[in-house]
Amino acid sequence: MIPSEVKGVMVGVITSAIVLAAAFTGGTVYRSQYITSKQPASKPLSPENLAAKGRGFFFQSCAHCHGQDADGGEDAPSLLKLQISGAHIALVVQSGIKDEMPSFAKKYNEQDVSAIIAYLKTLH
Amino acid sequence: MIPWDKLHGAMTHFPIALLLFSTACDLVSVALKKRPLSRELRVVSFYSLGIAALASVGAVISGIALTKGDLWGRGDFGWHHRFVWPAFGLLMALAGWRLVVRNAMSRFGLYVYLIMMVLASGLIAAAGYFGGEILLSGGGVP
Repeated sequence: MIPSEVKGVMVGVITSAIVLAAAFTGGTVYRSQYITSKQPASKPLSPENLAAKGRGFFFQSCAHCHGQDADGGEDAPSLLKLQISGAHIALVVQSGIKDEMPSFAKKYNEQDVSAIIAYLKTLH
Repeated sequence: MIPWDKLHGAMTHFPIALLLFSTACDLVSVALKKRPLSRELRVVSFYSLGIAALASVGAVISGIALTKGDLWGRGDFGWHHRFVWPAFGLLMALAGWRLVVRNAMSRFGLYVYLIMMVLASGLIAAAGYFGGEILLSGGGVP
């Protein structure tokens, strides 16, 4: 029969090893997930690729009101030679204009809006 | 959003205080030898150690969450961890040992246990000191 003190040493060592292993494993897994979540999802696009991506979004959501050539439609103004800043364009795309233009905040994220802006800046 | 900084600050004091208290009770009970109070102090030290061990799990979990899983680090933060991990491991080992042995320990076992308790107390006190330094130096948590 094992003396209680020896049995106690075994229980103590095993308990200690288990909790330390659990803490280090949990901490390492959490750390790696945290680092992964902090990394950008993809490489930033070049200006040309960004504009090309924005062109796709433009034809998908903007062209039927603002025209295929962005020169304006019946109810929407021309987007050629815009004199407003990128931040202003982003605000309009994300917030919309009451009774005139819908908000695209749910459809396009920040990077998508940047792509639309990049495309609109090429229309000079 | 869980306020891990506040939770960790609140939870760490229980294992620190209870482990130090448990060690003090054990040392006093040894000094008092076979007086009735000695036996009662052993009971108090047993439960204090058990609660300290349980509370230390919460303190460690909140600490891991607070540091986003950074288990070592540098400066005061690194020193805090260098003392925390041995203290945590030793505390759990001592609690496990005491749970099995209770008060049926030999003289040799008692002395080894007391030395380990003093060591664990020193480690946890040092971990607490560097934890406080992190806070006082403006929160060095990454």
